[in-house]
Amino acid sequence: MAFGLGLDCMSIITIVALALLVMIAGGFYVGRSRAITAVEGATAGLHSLPNYHGYYVAIWTGVPAFFLLGLYAIFGGQLVDRLAVSELRAQAAEINRLLDDTLAADTDFIELNHAAENLRGRVDALNDEISALRNARGDNRDPDRLTRLRAEQIEALNLSTAAEDAVRARRQAVVAAVGADAVTDGASERALAGYELAQAPRERRQLFLSDSRRIASGELASRDSVALRAAAQAIAGYDRNVKIGAAVLALALGALGFGLTRARISSQFRARNNVERLVTAALLLSSVIAILTTVGIVLSLLFESLRFFASVPVLDFLFGLQWSPQIAIRADQVGQSGAFGAVPLFAGTAMITVIAMVVAVPIGLFSAIYLSEYAGPKFRQIAKPVLEILAGIPTVVYGFFALLAVGPAIRTLFTALGFESVVTQSALSAGLVMGVMIIPFISSLSDDVINAVPQSLRDGSFAMGATRSETITQIVMPAALPGIVGAILLAVSRAVGETMIVVMAAGQGANLTANPLESVTTITVQIVMLLTGDQEFDSPKTLSAFALGLVLFVLTLLMNVVALRVVQKYREKYD
Amino acid sequence: MHDAQTQPTVYHKNSLGGSDIKVEVRDVSVSYGEKQALFNVSLDIPDKSVTAFIGPSGCGKSTFLRCMNRMNDTIDGARVSGSLKIDGAEVNDRAVDPVVLRASVGMVFQKPNPFPKSIYDNVAYGPRIHGLASGRDELDAIVEQSLRKAGLWAEVSDRLQDPGTGLSGGQQQRLVIARAIAVNPEVILMDEPCSALDPIATAKIEDLIDELRENYCIIIVTHSMQQAARVSQMTAFFHMGSLIEVGPTEEIFTNPLESRTQDYITGRFG
Amino acid sequence: MTDSPRTFPVREDVERRLAKRYRAELRFRTAGLTAIGIAVAILCILIGSIASEGVPAFTAKELVLRVELDADRVDPEGDGSVASLRRGSYNRVLQDALREAFPGVTARNDLRTLFGLYTPLNATRLMDAVLDDPALVGNSYVFTMPLADDLDLYLKGRLVEDRTLPTAGRLTASTDGDIVSLRSTTADFTALAREIEQSMAAEARTLELRVEQVRLALDQVPAADAPRLQAEADRHAAAAVNLRQLARAPDGFLPLTGDVPSVIVESGGQAFRLTQLAVDGKSARGEVVLGSGLVENADDWTLYVVDTPESRRRVSDQLIIWTRSLVEREMIQTGFNTYLFANADSREPELAGIKGALYGSILTMIITMFLSVPIGVFTAVYLEEYAPKNRVTDFIEVNINNLAAVPSIVFGLLGLAVFINFFGLPRSAPLVGGLVLSLMTLPTVIIATRAALKAVPPSIRQAALGVGASKTQAVFHHVLPLAAPGILTGSIIGLAQALGETAPLLMIGMVAFIADAPSLGLAGFTEPATVMPVQIFLWSDGAERAFEARTAAAILILLALMIGFNAVAIYLRRRFERRW
Repeated sequence: MAFGLGLDCMSIITIVALALLVMIAGGFYVGRSRAITAVEGATAGLHSLPNYHGYYVAIWTGVPAFFLLGLYAIFGGQLVDRLAVSELRAQAAEINRLLDDTLAADTDFIELNHAAENLRGRVDALNDEISALRNARGDNRDPDRLTRLRAEQIEALNLSTAAEDAVRARRQAVVAAVGADAVTDGASERALAGYELAQAPRERRQLFLSDSRRIASGELASRDSVALRAAAQAIAGYDRNVKIGAAVLALALGALGFGLTRARISSQFRARNNVERLVTAALLLSSVIAILTTVGIVLSLLFESLRFFASVPVLDFLFGLQWSPQIAIRADQVGQSGAFGAVPLFAGTAMITVIAMVVAVPIGLFSAIYLSEYAGPKFRQIAKPVLEILAGIPTVVYGFFALLAVGPAIRTLFTALGFESVVTQSALSAGLVMGVMIIPFISSLSDDVINAVPQSLRDGSFAMGATRSETITQIVMPAALPGIVGAILLAVSRAVGETMIVVMAAGQGANLTANPLESVTTITVQIVMLLTGDQEFDSPKTLSAFALGLVLFVLTLLMNVVALRVVQKYREKYD
Repeated sequence: MHDAQTQPTVYHKNSLGGSDIKVEVRDVSVSYGEKQALFNVSLDIPDKSVTAFIGPSGCGKSTFLRCMNRMNDTIDGARVSGSLKIDGAEVNDRAVDPVVLRASVGMVFQKPNPFPKSIYDNVAYGPRIHGLASGRDELDAIVEQSLRKAGLWAEVSDRLQDPGTGLSGGQQQRLVIARAIAVNPEVILMDEPCSALDPIATAKIEDLIDELRENYCIIIVTHSMQQAARVSQMTAFFHMGSLIEVGPTEEIFTNPLESRTQDYITGRFG
Repeated sequence: MTDSPRTFPVREDVERRLAKRYRAELRFRTAGLTAIGIAVAILCILIGSIASEGVPAFTAKELVLRVELDADRVDPEGDGSVASLRRGSYNRVLQDALREAFPGVTARNDLRTLFGLYTPLNATRLMDAVLDDPALVGNSYVFTMPLADDLDLYLKGRLVEDRTLPTAGRLTASTDGDIVSLRSTTADFTALAREIEQSMAAEARTLELRVEQVRLALDQVPAADAPRLQAEADRHAAAAVNLRQLARAPDGFLPLTGDVPSVIVESGGQAFRLTQLAVDGKSARGEVVLGSGLVENADDWTLYVVDTPESRRRVSDQLIIWTRSLVEREMIQTGFNTYLFANADSREPELAGIKGALYGSILTMIITMFLSVPIGVFTAVYLEEYAPKNRVTDFIEVNINNLAAVPSIVFGLLGLAVFINFFGLPRSAPLVGGLVLSLMTLPTVIIATRAALKAVPPSIRQAALGVGASKTQAVFHHVLPLAAPGILTGSIIGLAQALGETAPLLMIGMVAFIADAPSLGLAGFTEPATVMPVQIFLWSDGAERAFEARTAAAILILLALMIGFNAVAIYLRRRFERRW
């Protein structure tokens, strides 16, 4: 396999890693042999086996050092970028100041800016007027005036956009002129690079950095310029320093660990207990990760949601009937501030979930009943894996299936039945396919639950002369009911949190409708929509995704807790 | 190892043929898959009396009991051969509907297994599925009568809607007996009905069995020789899948003809 | 039972209801079997529809051109240096080769259509070939490239309805300016003319019906919408009148517009696209697309009909004719679709491949495996073997059970907020994807490992402890090795799940269009990448029809990978299964 490691990259870190491996092996050997010499070969006199002394030294030699290397691997690039950028910026401070002065003195720029501001004010005023008019009642409603105002608004918007473009263009011209002056004044290449970076629009900055990173590591960049090369040079320099720093530190940590632990080895040293304590600590640490994950989920969702609720009231979010967050893409953008009423999403989620359950519960439950009560071992052996295949199919495949087959089939069917304008992306299509996805979930959980009903109850019923179906419906099912309810709850929570099928099959219209043939949107779809476009982390649009995530998390968590409780109670009853 | 297959059964006087025969068994063998569990059992069981099956664990007595109401059908791979007639009607025949058969042959299991329903619904289960009661009043009467027969009425008459699983072990077992007699069966099979109960509850069940004897043919599998001696009129001793000896209980316990029966009764093995 | 001398008291009652009860039993049983039948049928439909869509995408129609790599075209500086070769106009080379194949095509518009046979991105591939072997400069070279996606679909019969009609007569053609007149000795065009006449009438009828509908609706719509609807009705009415007029063929000729099937006549390397059919069925008029337009009494000619009207398809009659001609000249071959495997994503369906996504998946899975398996196993060992029974342990257990049921998209939000925004890790990187998927897979691995550890009987532990082993020794030397197969199986199933996961990766930006495969090395972990399921999601959204087939093909590959994973898990389970 061709590893993308250049020789340069290979150099320090890989060599250090290899050296550390050697040190670990050496640590093991030294620890072991030192323990043996401590008792002059009579290993029975040692508290712990010689190997444990070896492990002890090896662990302390390797673990801290590799931990450091891990940190470097994850955060190293980040650190280099930050250092390089701050240096470039510092270098460019002079030119930036010059630019600010020039702009402040540039009459064209000031005038254009002024005009743009005026236009923005006009648009805002029109907005206010229009919304006042829209909210007006009775005699004050004046549709003609509204139409006129709308036309004016559009015109003003166009003008405003043009004005802002002009401002930007003028600014660009000044930026270029100042840059050219700086070149003739003999500014350093790094200063120019910093200047270019500072003046580039947000989205270009990432590109600039990634290009210079590529140049620094000798790869092909999307473009090439003096500034890029200067930036690359800065990056390469810091990269080397950080790399060397990490390498030296790692080696030092290894050596330190080695030295300290080696000194402790003696015949009485409880090496095994020490090693085992370390192992136990590692085990405990691992299980803490599960908790940390939950904490991370809760904190990140809460934190971002609180920021969202600072701009949109909680009640408006939970009970508002209109959802149109697209309007508020940029904070300074004209127009409405966006509507964040999540009820249409909840309704859409509920509708799709209900449809999915209508499909999955009967099919899943009857499959489970048939498999556990009727089917012979051979049939079971074939049918169960088939159902499991359904469970193993990635949801994106179900989504594609909905797009490819189910949606068009529904449209054809309902158009033939005389419905008009049936869309392919509908709640029905998403719900049906999601139901199929849930079938194996319900059938396998119910299967477990039904099998947990003691055979003695079935025997009792058969001995009374009941048929199989009577035994199932009157004895087994009532006995298994709590477990089945738990299984269905888990399935509902699954359906509520399912993403890909609805993203692909349910459409995106935030319609508040009871018609399953229309396209609806769900909590998960909106999270995806809000977070896959351009993101600006301070806009309520992006933050609302986290609020939706919080709702989703709380909702599913509640269902899971209840379901797990119910199932567990049920298990205890028959165990 | 005894060659049980070829060993002929020892029959006491009056134990094969005669009047009032309820169940007539001839050459019944049972196997589960490859393993044969019961070898050529022939036996007559009298009506309105208690017949006890005794023998060490795994001797085939429970297997034999389960032949009488075709419960072996519910086990995959079980094969039953031979003839088993109740009131002269063949039981071991594909054409016989086990549902009908089981309605007239009740069964009580080792561990009390009341359904997770109310006491009333437990007893009413049989009459309901078979449609034996034409109305609520009749059903109430059947339930009361069955509970009375099972000696449970006095204890539960004020809480018929409580769950059956809430009763004590002995009460549960009597509830199960009430459930079985609610469909007015001809034969009641009991598979070690007292093995999960304490002595006092056991005594109550034994008294009940003694009372029921007047109306039913009762067949009981038991590990306790004392119990067999106390409640039964006929005793059959099974060993390693064969019926060794059968006869009136008194004779079996006082004067067994087979040495193995003697050994088992005196506690030398088992 | 009839010969029974006595009946039981309840027997009659029971038997009376028996038939009804057995009917209920049968219904119930049938319902169960039906449920399983439905599930299996849906699985079959799902796999079947995806396979029938995806399998054709594993072959590609390829255009094989002999290109002349003239030095002045590909080596403008003339020094043979890499920089010079990079600046060559390779697309011109390809265009020249096509012009040579169709010398009759000269008009600017026609040429533009002709060059639509392939995507210009192939020029880069030609350049790479030359850069690999500079000795090619100045020579001719056989270059193979995929045909444009729509034509690929056309040749696979997935784009249009078409058929070839039988002909009996001899064909004579003569040109008059741009118009070619065709005559056959027998009435070979009759059936076709009748058909087209009928389809025109049917179309007119549909239009008239729509006009009626719109007129009826006019009364019910708000006044503001009325003019628009009125205009629509008028337009349809006019179109219907026009159609009826045309169908009457006043000058003896039926016009073939873009809304009716296209008719193409081919004979000896020449091809004509018909514009008018005579009602007598013997003659037709059309335009020359290939050849001189002169045919004398040829009895070997083909009448080819594309039933999908030209206005309703993405390939023009011209392209169809040229493509058919290339097939005839064996310049189009069918080959295994190597592009699907050797290329990363592309805007052009015929060049788009899964290599980038596959590499992304591999890198992501490496991270997931090396994080979730050890951490999961350690956690399970701790909980099962070490943890004291106290509230902290209970809390961890409840936690893990709940994590197992947290929607995957929430893990994506966690990744976005914590790994990207808080720790500042790069977006779209397999590293972050792997981290997120690890956290998601963790509960699965933990639960499977705990089950495997539980299955090891306590006697093993007691035996180890009994001979003086420490707890850690008992666990690591005796219990873990015995539980290993179960752990492995559970981990593989967890990883297979992670391999198919999409939603959380959308959150962390692995959904971008990425035209380069990440490198399979350390650097690859932080390069922007995508993974197989996300690639499927992206393609499923693709505007071109050909992406649909690619999507299905990618799904088949993903499913094959997952089946492979699961097969390994099942094999391990069977091979090492131990019953106590």
